[in-house]
Amino acid sequence: MTELRASDLVHVYPAAGVRALDGIDLLIEAGETVALIGQNGSGKTTLARHLNGLLRPSSGRVLVDGRDAAELTVAQLAAQVGLVFQDPDRQVFAGSVLAEVEFGPRNLGRSGDELRGAVRESLAACGLEGEERTNPYDLGQSRRKLLALASVLAMRTPVVVLDEPTTGQDPRGVERVRAAIADIASKGRTVLAISHDMRFVAETFSRVIVLRSGRIILDGSPSEVFGAAAWDALRSTYLEPPLSARIGDRLGQGSTPTDASLIARLSGDEAQEQKA
Amino acid sequence: MARSLRLTDPARIPANSPGRGIPDVIGRPGPSPFHRLNPLTKATLATTTAVAAVVLGGLVGPSILVGAAVIVPAAMAGVLRRLLVMAAILALPIALSAFLINLFFFPGGETVLLRIGPVAATAEGLGFAMEILARILAISGAITLFYLTTRPADLVVDLERRGVSPRAAFVINASVQTVPAMVERAGQITAAQRARGLDTEGSIWRRVRGIVPIVGPVILGSIAEVEERTMALEARGFSRPGRRTLLWSPGDSSREAVLRWAMVLALAALIVGRMSGAWQ
Ligand SMILES: Nc1ncnc2c1ncn2[C@@H]1O[C@H](COP(=O)(O)OP(=O)(O)OP(=O)(O)O)[C@@H](O)[C@H]1O
Ligand SMILES: [Mg+2]
Repeated sequence: MTELRASDLVHVYPAAGVRALDGIDLLIEAGETVALIGQNGSGKTTLARHLNGLLRPSSGRVLVDGRDAAELTVAQLAAQVGLVFQDPDRQVFAGSVLAEVEFGPRNLGRSGDELRGAVRESLAACGLEGEERTNPYDLGQSRRKLLALASVLAMRTPVVVLDEPTTGQDPRGVERVRAAIADIASKGRTVLAISHDMRFVAETFSRVIVLRSGRIILDGSPSEVFGAAAWDALRSTYLEPPLSARIGDRLGQGSTPTDASLIARLSGDEAQEQKA
Repeated sequence: MARSLRLTDPARIPANSPGRGIPDVIGRPGPSPFHRLNPLTKATLATTTAVAAVVLGGLVGPSILVGAAVIVPAAMAGVLRRLLVMAAILALPIALSAFLINLFFFPGGETVLLRIGPVAATAEGLGFAMEILARILAISGAITLFYLTTRPADLVVDLERRGVSPRAAFVINASVQTVPAMVERAGQITAAQRARGLDTEGSIWRRVRGIVPIVGPVILGSIAEVEERTMALEARGFSRPGRRTLLWSPGDSSREAVLRWAMVLALAALIVGRMSGAWQ
């Protein structure tokens, strides 16, 4: 399985002179589920695009499975790292849902039953079964976004990188994304997802990395990153820990309490108040 | 696997955080005097050059025109290399097919240069094909020069300042902006295709293979985008009568106005001369 490593990774967009990544050191081991958070412009997308070679470092290195990404083409890296773009309209191009989902696995040389199985599975995971012949432009933005996800899932890459997968999704769509992530993780594959939804992050991932101005300022488990000790650092970059973390902290339940335990505790308090 | 929280002291991060900064639409001077010409001047240059190349015909006329109105200004603006590459890509499909068709199928061609199976390349065909090529290169070069040195939005702002109605300005804007928008969109979709394993590095044919299937969706997508933008403009009171406030408009001078009229008059003279048969 595939391990990702960045060492002293710097990226400067030459046209704008923006130093979007400013010395990233990072090791993501196979099978981790990692959330990447940070305010707009902190460099999340830029970092994601280095993992499959769409962007190349200004200095520093990216290692995919121990090999320097600089030596591999994007097409070669695509077999290792699948990337779902932030905006589906910048990704989807085929005339039918089926053609769109088959595109990636075909490029990786899949065919026959293997191809059909991968396509069927990923369409089902994204709630798109029965839409094979639909034109992606008739799907609507939020389902087109799920199509973009399906088209990368079908490649069954050891690493899947998702750029803001839940943006614009209703609760059912968010649930689909969460289930897809859990499914990837259950197969020992790696997920790195960018998100602005703190609750989704706290409930879905085993590790959270916080970027600010192209640097990592926090890196730990959700309970650590959303724990009271890290709140100042979070707020320094305009991130707010999820409400459950703040209530859990007050009630002595830690920073990642389950909804059930919070509700149980609050109804207990209510019962006591009524007795008094 | 235990991993302890890594926390970087925020105070150690410098304050010069990257940001989008001031939008570069507002009043930023271009990098060269040619860039800083009024957008209408550059649009006039592109249009008159393209039309003149067609009116002139022949090989010598368009070639001189390309040198004087495309190559020299592009070199002055420091965009010559990019211009040559982009104009070539833009013109390649049409130029190639027009060249081959005329080379082999020019009606009445008699001097056979080369015979391939049933078709023959004739000297007359070659001459005519070269002429077509010269025109296509002049047109694509003139258009590319405009795009490489002008932000389309500037042209629209300038037209509005001159009293062109917002509606007309929008139509012009939509048409001049579709080209860069389509190029950008095509670039992004190609990136997404590479991310899904399409090998485009290396030979030109591999690139072409990636571009062919996206041409349709890119054009459709851009049309849909323009439609959306129109509705968004309407929703923000776009069709309300009355003049709108412009925050900034590109500079202009009487010298440039003279230059523009000179170009238009020269073109008019050329057309009249051509039609009256005063010169062949
Ligand atoms: N193509 C580009 N050219 C120039 N600058 C860019 C480009 N793409 C991004 N930037 C700049 O690099 C910085 C990081 O951008 P990036 O898109 O990686 O941020 P992000 O964390 O993904 O933000 P968001 O939450 O808005 O998606 C920003 O300052 C941005 O303006
Ligand atoms: Mg982003």
